Amino acid sequence: MSLLTVSNIETLYFDRIYALRGVSIEVREGTIFTVLGPNGAGKTTLLKTIAGLIKDQPKKGTIEFDGRRIERWSAERVAALGIVYVPEDRGLFRELTVAENLELGLWGRRDNSIARDLEAVFRMFPVLRERSRQQAESLSGGEQQMLSIGRAMLRRPRLLMLDEPSHGLTPQIATMVYDALATISMTGSTILLVEQNARLALRVAHEGIILEAGRVVLQGTAQEIGQNDDVRDLYLGVGEPGTSATGWRLYRKRRRW
Amino acid sequence: MDRVASYKEDLRLVRKWPEKLLAGILFLALCLLPQFGSDYAIYIVTLISTYAIGVLGQNLLIGFSGQVSFGQAGFLGIGAFTLAHLTRAGVVFPLALLAAGAMAALFGLLVGFPALRLKGPYLAVATLGFGIAVYQVLANWDTLSGGRMGLAIPPLAWNGLSKRLLMYYLNVGLAVLFTLATYNLVSSYVGRAFIAIRDSDIAAEVMGINLTRYKLLAFAVSSFYTGVQGGLLAQLLGHLEPQMFTLAETITLIVGVVVGGLARVEGSLFGAAFVILVPQVFASSRELVPVVYGAAILLVIIFEPHGFAGRWMKFRLYFSHWPFR
Amino acid sequence: MEWLLQYLLAGLSAGSTYALVALGLVLVYQSSRVLNFAHGDVAAFATFIAYTALSARLPFGVAFGLAVMFSAALATTFYLGILIPAQRRDATHLGQVIMTLGLGLILQGGAAFFWGTEPQPFRSPLSDTRIVKIGPVAMTELGLGTLGTALCCSLLLYGFVQRTRVGRAMRATSENLIAAQTLGIPTRQLVALSWAVGAALGAVAGAFLAPALFLDPYFMIDPFLKGFAAAILGGLNSLPGAIVGGLILGIAESLSGAYIAIQFKNTLAFVIIILVLLVRPEGLLGHEFKERV
Ligand SMILES: Nc1ncnc2c1ncn2[C@@H]1O[C@H](COP(=O)(O)OP(=O)(O)OP(=O)(O)O)[C@@H](O)[C@H]1O
Ligand SMILES: [Mg+2]
Repeated sequence: MSLLTVSNIETLYFDRIYALRGVSIEVREGTIFTVLGPNGAGKTTLLKTIAGLIKDQPKKGTIEFDGRRIERWSAERVAALGIVYVPEDRGLFRELTVAENLELGLWGRRDNSIARDLEAVFRMFPVLRERSRQQAESLSGGEQQMLSIGRAMLRRPRLLMLDEPSHGLTPQIATMVYDALATISMTGSTILLVEQNARLALRVAHEGIILEAGRVVLQGTAQEIGQNDDVRDLYLGVGEPGTSATGWRLYRKRRRW
Repeated sequence: MDRVASYKEDLRLVRKWPEKLLAGILFLALCLLPQFGSDYAIYIVTLISTYAIGVLGQNLLIGFSGQVSFGQAGFLGIGAFTLAHLTRAGVVFPLALLAAGAMAALFGLLVGFPALRLKGPYLAVATLGFGIAVYQVLANWDTLSGGRMGLAIPPLAWNGLSKRLLMYYLNVGLAVLFTLATYNLVSSYVGRAFIAIRDSDIAAEVMGINLTRYKLLAFAVSSFYTGVQGGLLAQLLGHLEPQMFTLAETITLIVGVVVGGLARVEGSLFGAAFVILVPQVFASSRELVPVVYGAAILLVIIFEPHGFAGRWMKFRLYFSHWPFR
Repeated sequence: MEWLLQYLLAGLSAGSTYALVALGLVLVYQSSRVLNFAHGDVAAFATFIAYTALSARLPFGVAFGLAVMFSAALATTFYLGILIPAQRRDATHLGQVIMTLGLGLILQGGAAFFWGTEPQPFRSPLSDTRIVKIGPVAMTELGLGTLGTALCCSLLLYGFVQRTRVGRAMRATSENLIAAQTLGIPTRQLVALSWAVGAALGAVAGAFLAPALFLDPYFMIDPFLKGFAAAILGGLNSLPGAIVGGLILGIAESLSGAYIAIQFKNTLAFVIIILVLLVRPEGLLGHEFKERV
């Protein structure tokens, strides 16, 4: 069952700069789907387009969520469907405390499992409980990422979209965040994950694509992607001639997509 | 990209006849008016020309360099009183007018200095303070402002031309001069620097534009315009009082800029005509003038952010394809 | 010494009206980054509504309530009905600010049209001639009432913004609109709410200023300018800053009027502000929002 189907979308900035040139993905319910690609490929743009954060975009193509067409919806309407977007800069309210940030994640929820969900977040990220009266601004980068993910969890997302959650984290913290993602996925949320760190992402993801210059250049299961020779060379760095600039050029010529 | 280029081509093609035709008609009308127009019409066109200069100046500041000034009334007053005192002291009019502009420009530089650090609302309050300060100094310093009696300005005489016609030719001539000068300014390097500053301070600086110099320049040039407007206004009215230079005058200029079109030179002429004609049309119910001004601002910004000038552009485009669309 | 105290108190009382005006401005600026140039005119128009209600022999409390509700409704309508459509049509930031100027002009002209430009006396249960003695110093009833009301309003607003969930959501929206939207917080309604509350505070200020100033369509221009200056002085995005700025401005005016020169009272206020801005461009308690590119 596919939860999110993006077909052939084109997103432009300022009506003339193409950021996405016909991207299609299909995210099945309950899975983790990863979008990999170099800087400027359009990964962030893809998430923002789905979240309704780029005005009047996508210009072409359709986005279907749970059987409903949602392209060009406003961010509020998209959010109301249970799609949560965690931006690259974490999107925290820096002047509010940790507890207040979490509270706002609960906006609009009235069910009686709020306390349980809050407890789950604190169990997953115990630092948040210790720091709950502290301003979000004063948290470390890793703690901010935890807060951001924790806050997103409280929305009980049907689709959780994360932009580079490992950005700026030490390997231990990044691993911890990724373990958390796996747990969240287990509780029934579908995850759309944008990453630079292909190794981490492919470890948890079921399926994925590689985006380059606004186009999908490779798609498949995580295993297929991980075993593609070029991905191994360029993204995982396990091929022969390292990652030197000449190596890159050589491989750009030789690559098979 | 070629689509954009061809669009530009399109515009240039259109530029040929309607623009020239309109300019020609306008010129002819301005020449014929003294012969055939009523005294009232002549006076109104004179007033519009005077205001056109001030609106152009304010447009350079708000529209092109993106800096807001709520102190234009101050510059206007400085220009007017400079001219008044100089002509009363026997200085010839052209020199006095130049001095009026220069004095305002000097104060413009002075106000421009805080502008280097201030932006948006902060700049608005600083310039507002300047405007109020000028007003209060004028209102409380009798030797400067002529006290309760106001200040009378000796009328101008030249070649036996009637006062009315002399003022007409003078103001219209200067308005044309300032319009042409503004066109040249905005299409020069300086104009592009202003626009770069407006669109992004940081980017402009990175591009190697000297922010300090061009921000100050924008203030100086625009207050020069306003100072000249003040001088002309003083000469035209023949009598000055501090009460003529309050916030209302500043707002009139802003309305002119917005209604005519931000960053549109030709728009400023429309804008000046608008702010002069509306009070004439609503002469019997003056309270409604601000209502019309306000409604015009709202409508323009919602429906036609480029003001009258933008509307004219669309109109022109429409007729360029006329039989076919 | 007693004189000094007296001037300080007078300054506090005047400053508290500036603070009320400034609070409304800051609230709107924080939520929508728009400097509301119509703030004073909305308040003036609302005070005229109260005036009409009073002329119809309604009790003061009812008239006051009507004025407050009217200005809140007017500001909300303007935001939702005019500013939002303009934003949808990509109005620039400067354009939006100028639109508030347009609204101000319309209201000013409208008030002149309906009620004329002759100054009218505005009846209030608090007299501005009866004196209340507090220890060594004296104050008019109205002055004391103004000070008290401003204090209450500030405390209520502080409690609302800091201690309620809606208030916190408002702060969140003000700080990071996009994040608030993606959390499903109804940002538009919250911004509309802050326009409403801001305008209501303006109407309160109007009702307390009108008895002393007399009522005409332009009577709020001066308090508006002072409130604007106070907001800038304290920092345009700081609610405590608005109060501090207003009180400092009131006291500075009162003292400079007493000891320097009464004619230049207004100018001195602005001179102080420009000096402060040159040292601290973001005001005393403010810190400018980081530009989001
Ligand atoms: N606001 C914007 N205005 C104009 N162009 C933009 C904007 N945001 C992104 N772009 C352009 O769109 C393209 C895709 O950008 P995007 O941010 O989606 O890349 P990304 O894959 O997320 O890169 P990174 O890995 O560096 O985050 C880039 O060429 C970028 O320059
Ligand atoms: Mg990105």
